[in-house]
Amino acid sequence: MITVTDLVYEYPTTRALKGVSLHVPPQTITALVGPNGAGKTTLLRCLAALEDPYSGTVTVAGHDTRAEPRAIHALLGYLPDFFGLYDALSVRRILTYTARSRGIIPALTSTAVDKAAGRVGLSNRIDVKAGDLSRGLRQRLAIAQAIVHEPKVLLLDEPSAGLDPQARRDLSMLLVSLKTAGMTLVVSSHILAELEDYCSEMIIIEEGLIVGGKAIKVKDIERPRYIVEIAKARSDLKDFLDARAGVDVIEADQYHALITHARSATARARLIRDLINAGFDVSSFGEASKALEEAYFSQVGGGAAR
Amino acid sequence: MNPEFERNAWLELTPLRLVVLAAVLALAFFAAALSNGFFTPGSVARLMFLAIVVVWGTYNAARSVVGEIRDRTWDSQRLSSLGAGTMMWGKLFGSTVFNWAGGLICLAVIAAESINTGIAGAFAEVVYYLAMGVIAQAFSLSASLIGARRRQGRTGFEVFLYQLAGLLAAIAVAVIADPTGSSIGTFPRTDTLRWWNQTVPTSAFLLASLAVFTGWMLTGCYRQMRLELKLSNGPWVWLGFLIFMIGYAAGFDAFAPLHFDDITGRLMLAALVCAGLAYITAVLEPKSAVQLRWLGGEFARFHLGAAFGHLQCWMMSFLGAAIIAGALMLRFGLAHQGPELATTGAVLGFVTRDLGIIVLMAMLTRRRGSDLLALAVLLVAYWLMPSILHSLQYYGGQALFLPNRTDPLWMSPAASWLEAVAVWAIAATQISLSKRKS
Repeated sequence: MITVTDLVYEYPTTRALKGVSLHVPPQTITALVGPNGAGKTTLLRCLAALEDPYSGTVTVAGHDTRAEPRAIHALLGYLPDFFGLYDALSVRRILTYTARSRGIIPALTSTAVDKAAGRVGLSNRIDVKAGDLSRGLRQRLAIAQAIVHEPKVLLLDEPSAGLDPQARRDLSMLLVSLKTAGMTLVVSSHILAELEDYCSEMIIIEEGLIVGGKAIKVKDIERPRYIVEIAKARSDLKDFLDARAGVDVIEADQYHALITHARSATARARLIRDLINAGFDVSSFGEASKALEEAYFSQVGGGAAR
Repeated sequence: MNPEFERNAWLELTPLRLVVLAAVLALAFFAAALSNGFFTPGSVARLMFLAIVVVWGTYNAARSVVGEIRDRTWDSQRLSSLGAGTMMWGKLFGSTVFNWAGGLICLAVIAAESINTGIAGAFAEVVYYLAMGVIAQAFSLSASLIGARRRQGRTGFEVFLYQLAGLLAAIAVAVIADPTGSSIGTFPRTDTLRWWNQTVPTSAFLLASLAVFTGWMLTGCYRQMRLELKLSNGPWVWLGFLIFMIGYAAGFDAFAPLHFDDITGRLMLAALVCAGLAYITAVLEPKSAVQLRWLGGEFARFHLGAAFGHLQCWMMSFLGAAIIAGALMLRFGLAHQGPELATTGAVLGFVTRDLGIIVLMAMLTRRRGSDLLALAVLLVAYWLMPSILHSLQYYGGQALFLPNRTDPLWMSPAASWLEAVAVWAIAATQISLSKRKS
C-alpha cells in the first residue's frame, strides 16, 4: 500500500531522513517507533504528501507524492501529533465540515458524521462545542476527523496521547476494527506496550534511517510467539524444540525458550504433552506479550545493521 | 455550498453579530442625517466601508490562513479534497463574510447617494470601492500565504504586516483610481490619457484597470493557494502576467524617457518593470537551499521540462529583464551609442549581483531576517560606499557600486559583472554546502 524508496528529506540545516526505504503492506497496522528527533513525524508528513522530499520516491496506493499529492490526500486520514480543533464549533459541525471538505456528498454526510462520532464514543456529546471537551475527548474528536471519510490509509502520530487507560483500550479496539474494515494504518508512538495490542509490523527509525533496513514482523497472527518455561534446567531444551515439527526456536537457554508456533490449541496441547513425556518439568507455557518491545530493544540496543 | 465558506459563515455570521452590525450602521447613518450637512449618510458609509471592509477585512483575510496554522488546523485543511479555487474563495470571502455584510449595506447607501450625479458615476464609485475591498483583502491573504510558505507568520506582529500589505494596496488604489479624485498618483487628473499612442477616457481606463488588476490579484491568491496544497503552478501564468505588465506599463507615453526614440523608451520601461518584479519576488518568495539544489540538479540532468516548470517567479522576471536588456544593448550597439550600451550592461550586471546578494543572505542566515540583511547590504552598496568614495573625491571608484558612465566605458559593466559572478559563486557554494555536510 505504501512504498518508500531512498527517501531523503532536508531541512535547511539538517538532513532529517537519509535514504529511507520501506514497504507497508495493505490492511496492516504498522508501528513507527524511535527516539525523539529520529524523523518519525517528518516521515509521516512525507507519507501524507505534506512535504516534498529532496530525493527518493513515496507512493501510496500507486500514487506518487510528488506527482499526485492531491490523489494521496483524498485517500488519506492523518492525525498530527499536535492538532487543533475549531473550539467554537460543535462536534457535529466539525465532523460535518470535515466530511464535506473530504468529499462526502451532502446526502451521506449526516450518516458519516454519526458513524465517526459513534466509533470514537462521542455520540452523546455530538452537540457539545469542541472547546468544552476534555483533552481526552478532544483527542477522540481529532481521530474521528481523521476517519470520517473512511480513508484507505490512516496515519496517526501519537494517537493515544492524553487518553485515559479505558480510552486507550477503546482506541486499540477501534484501530483493529479499522484494519479489519480494510484500512492500512501507520501509528507512531513512544508507548511500545500499547502498540503491542494492535501492531503486527514495526519500523524503527533512528537518526533518519530505518534500523535493520526494513519493517520487522513482530507479530504473526497465525503463528504467535510463546514462552516455554521449565522448572529444572535442561541443556537439550533447544534441540528438543527444534526437532518438533511446526516449532521455530527464536532463542533458548536451559530454563526458557521463545518459540513461534501455530495458533491451534490442539497443536499447542500436543507440544506440551511431548515436553512432559520427554521429562521436561513444564512450569509455564504462554503467549509472549512483549514481542514488540523485545524486538525494538534487540534492534536498537544491539546496534543493528543499517 | 463551499464547505470552507460555510464553516466560516458558522463562525462569523451569528444572529447576534448581524443584529449589532445592522444596528450600529443604522445609528451611524441616522446620526449623519441629523448632522445638518456636516456629514451625509453617504460620506459616513464611505468611512464605514473603509473601516469595516478594508481595515477590519484585511485583518480577517490576513488571519484566515495564519490563524489555521497557529491553531494547528491547517494541515487538516491542506489534506481536504477542496480544490485550490474552492479553498481560496472560501477563505477570502468566508473569513470576511461579516465584513462584506456590513460593506454591502454601506455600498447600497453610497450608491443611493451618488446616483444623484448619474448612473455612470454611481457605478464607477461602487466598482471602485468593491475593487478596493477585494484587492486589499486579496493582498493580505496572498501575503499571509507567502508567509506560510516561508514558514513564518504566526505572531500577531506578522499578521499585522500581512494586513499592512493589504492596506498599502488599498492606499495605492485610492491614490490612483479614486473616481472622485483630482489626481492620478502625482499626475493631475485629466479627462483623457495617452496609452500606446491612443487617447483613452481616464475614467473608463481606470475602471478597466481596476477590474483587470482585481482579476490578477485573485489569480495570484489562487496560485499561492495551489502551492500550499502541494500543486505545481508551472511558469505560464506568471509569464502571462509579466507580458501583461510589460504591455501595460510600457504603454504609458508619459512615462517613456524623453531622450530616446519610442521603441527604446518603451523597452526601457519594460525592462524596468521586469527588474522591479524580479526584486520584489526575490524578496518575497521562499529561497530554500533544498529547492535550489533540486532545481540545479534538474538542469544538470537536462530535465529541462521539470526545471522550467519549477522556476520561481523572480527567476522568470530576471530572465525577462535580461532578454529586454539584451535587446536594448543590441539597439544601442547598432546605433553606436557606446555610453548607453555600457550603462545598460552595468545595470543588468548590478541587478544580477543584487539578486545574488538576496539569495546569498538567505543561504547564510537560513532563518528570518535574511531579507532585511540583504536590504542592509544593498544599502551599503548603493548608498554608503558611493558616499564614502564621493567624500574622498574618488569619483571613478563609484563605478564599482553604481552604473555610472566611466572612462574607459567598460569599467562600470566589468565591475558589475565581476561582482555578480563573485556573489553567485559564493551563493552556489552555500547552496550546496549542507549537502556536503550531511
